[in-house]
Amino acid sequence: MIIAQHLVKTFIKNEKKNRKVEINAVNDISLTVKEGEIVGILGPNGAGKTTLLRMLSKLMKPTSGTVGIRIGEEEISDDIEIKRHIGYLSNNTKLYGRLSSRELLQMLGVLYGMSEEETGNKIEEICEVLSMESFIDNRIEKLSTGQTQRASIARCLIHNPEIYIFDEPTLGLDILSSAAIIEFMKKEREKGKTILYSTHYMEEAEYLCDRIVMIHQGKIISEGTPEALKQQTGKDNLREVFAELIEREGIEDEH
Amino acid sequence: MNTKVIKTLVKKEFLDVFRDRKTVIMMLVIPVILYPLIFIGVMQLVSMISSSMDKQTYRIAIEAEDNGAFLQKMEEAKEHADEETTDEETTDGKETEYELILVDADSITDYEEALNAEEIDAYISGKLQDGKLQYDVYYLSSENNSSYARNIVMDIFDEYKEELTKEKITEAGLDVHEILEPIVYEEEDIASNEQSLGSIMGSILPFMLIVSLLMGTMYPAIDTTAGERERGTLETILTLPVTNRQLIVSKFFTVAMIGIISALLNIVSMGGIAFYMYQIMDLQSDAQVFDMMQFVPALLVCILTVFAFSLFISAVTMCVTAFAKSYKEANNYVTPLMLVVMFVGYIGFIPNVELNRTMAMIPVANICLLIKNMLVFKVDYTAIAVVLISNVAYAVFAILFLSKIYDSEAVLFGEGKAGIQLFEKRSNLKKGGLPELSDVWFVLALTMMLVLYAGSMLQIKFGLKGVFGTQMILLLVPLLIIWYTRKDIRQTYAFQQTKASGFVGGLFIILGMFCINLVLSTGMIKLFPQSAGNIMTAFAELMDGSFLEAFFVIAVTPAICEEMLFRGIVFQTMKKKYRITSAILAVGVLFGAYHMSLVKFLPTGLLGIVLCYTVYVTGSIYPAMLMHFVNNGLSVIISYFPEQLGKVFPVFYEELKLSDSLILLGVGLVLFSIGHSVLRRNYGRNK
Repeated sequence: MIIAQHLVKTFIKNEKKNRKVEINAVNDISLTVKEGEIVGILGPNGAGKTTLLRMLSKLMKPTSGTVGIRIGEEEISDDIEIKRHIGYLSNNTKLYGRLSSRELLQMLGVLYGMSEEETGNKIEEICEVLSMESFIDNRIEKLSTGQTQRASIARCLIHNPEIYIFDEPTLGLDILSSAAIIEFMKKEREKGKTILYSTHYMEEAEYLCDRIVMIHQGKIISEGTPEALKQQTGKDNLREVFAELIEREGIEDEH
Repeated sequence: MNTKVIKTLVKKEFLDVFRDRKTVIMMLVIPVILYPLIFIGVMQLVSMISSSMDKQTYRIAIEAEDNGAFLQKMEEAKEHADEETTDEETTDGKETEYELILVDADSITDYEEALNAEEIDAYISGKLQDGKLQYDVYYLSSENNSSYARNIVMDIFDEYKEELTKEKITEAGLDVHEILEPIVYEEEDIASNEQSLGSIMGSILPFMLIVSLLMGTMYPAIDTTAGERERGTLETILTLPVTNRQLIVSKFFTVAMIGIISALLNIVSMGGIAFYMYQIMDLQSDAQVFDMMQFVPALLVCILTVFAFSLFISAVTMCVTAFAKSYKEANNYVTPLMLVVMFVGYIGFIPNVELNRTMAMIPVANICLLIKNMLVFKVDYTAIAVVLISNVAYAVFAILFLSKIYDSEAVLFGEGKAGIQLFEKRSNLKKGGLPELSDVWFVLALTMMLVLYAGSMLQIKFGLKGVFGTQMILLLVPLLIIWYTRKDIRQTYAFQQTKASGFVGGLFIILGMFCINLVLSTGMIKLFPQSAGNIMTAFAELMDGSFLEAFFVIAVTPAICEEMLFRGIVFQTMKKKYRITSAILAVGVLFGAYHMSLVKFLPTGLLGIVLCYTVYVTGSIYPAMLMHFVNNGLSVIISYFPEQLGKVFPVFYEELKLSDSLILLGVGLVLFSIGHSVLRRNYGRNK
């Protein structure tokens, strides 16, 4: 379970000359994601999705607020310990092209503190699940886009994390590859994993998510199941819900 | 710190780096292929030159009114040369040293023509003048053969003269030996062969080692920092349960180890070549014999220093490259670093620099000097310790700094800065606007290097005209780069029209500044008398031309060229990127440093600041040009008309008394504030 409280992230942006402008990329967001739940983060470009996910996976430190996780009954707040339980994937988490998938996974096994035997078994298992046999020993830079994406997922699986945080995992993938990822998330949900992910694809979110969090300008503007959001706005699909919510927000801003 | 984690990370970095062809090539090609190739090439060249010289025949024409006395001497020498030939052929099969052909002087009508046409290599004429024979040897110094022929002829003359002297002395009934050699002296080099060899190696080896280490660490440093960001694996590694410290330490170890490996390869390769050379020399009968074992301690210290230096240079290079987001950008950052390191590395070539306590603390220089010392068997254990410890200490500081960089999210996730546009295709560049800051740094580095090397040479050779040449470098290099990067000249140089009051205010300010600087300079001269003396003589030497010439070169050209560089391209760009106060200060410091003198630093630095300020307030470079012109023009006038001006303003020529200083300072400040308020009033308070 992920528990985030009052997260704020302030960036200092250099505008012209000596003027420095503070921008709250994330402005007081509190969020909880439970086991066996897929939560989707939706929002326009620049809404603060990536910054939020980076803070949740401990890549970035929040300016204020806290992020903690709970595994079973155990509360964990140490950054490094939290990272051990999270599988994080984004478009910015590329793989070492000059290594093979197997070398990469072996290295990660050690870094996650697994024994050699444990790592070996896990690699075999992942290899079967993601059908990577044919290319696991090839250098990653030589793989196709779909194969690379599978290797990326393998990277997130190696330490058998309880929590997955994915930042636009299906962006730019073909239908088959993105379907595979969606199926993967569904399966992991069945295993009781905690899944938080962001996307721009409304249909995908509607199909997959138990709960949706809409963010705009660093704030949560609405939150709930897809059905609840539709009712709240009186629209019949998520795309329109999204447009409606953003528009309302814009009008409120002007007042 | 978890060693298992670090070991794994280092292993990963090693795999990653070594599977990159660029690094491997950089590491291997230079020591393993390039050195031997250069060596073989040089050997070939040397043997070609010497063999072409060996077989040389020299054609010499003699026309002398000495009844053939010298001709006879030449004939003897010719026979002698022939004899030597046969001798040497039997001993080691070498070709003739030279062969003399005496050309009939009657066949030559114009010796100059004949020399130029290379029909003869030397022409000797002998005429009787006041009862004494006067020989003239004509030769062509631009031709090697002719020069050699001259040497031979001059040797024969020396011999001939000695012979005649002896004859005369004997004729006079005196003892030849006593007259010619009233005392006996001899010189003896007590340096062992090894020391001589060491001193030769000492000037080259450190520099080569430093450059090879730099080259060896550069690519892995870029690859593990900027390369990682460019490939997008940085965020991946940040998701791992690994601390920043572990990450940096492992990256640092990788780079340092690769640096060490490449340096060792370099040492082995150079050592191999040295050994090979030694073998060749050993074969030659008269070659000096070296005891190579004597160099073993030096070599060991050398290896130790290589270790220490590779720690230092890896850490420093990584600090620089960590800011870059891509290979290209990192290259831009490393280039100035390389220039600086190589520049400091030249210290090994300067003869009189000793490894004292201060030098032992200066990075790069201390390594050069230590290796140099070791090679001439000057062992100072404290110096060794200081050098090694200071290098390690600097490396530690750099690593701490590096972990600060890796803690900064702005650096890790931020947008990269634009690289040097100069290295892009011109057609890809957008037209207009101001240059990028990195371009400006590059321009500054390039012009300063050029001024330092080419400029100072020009000035030594051509005096005032050389100064003009230096100014042209300042003008043309940036201009060329602005043209190439298609920037807006008007904007870059702040070529903006401005009010007349801008010029009036500027004029008051500079007159005030001139007075203040007069006092400041006097103070600085007292502080650094030696440096001041150098400047005085340098300045006096420059002022050898006519007044107008000096006025043009020293007052007019810098007002245009230096202003366009410092207050134009540099200030305009910095103004855009930095806070205005930092930009003005930075340009002041650069302008002060550009004058390359301790004494001048403060006055010129202040001048730079004031000029910048005026440009900032008026928004135009023109007032600053006028001010610079007035400032330099006053200096020229003062130094050219001491007599006329001395009567009116004796302050310029006498040593300043305290009261004079205070008055000057007061006058200066008043003028300055008048100028300042003129600018303020006319350009508003907000600007």
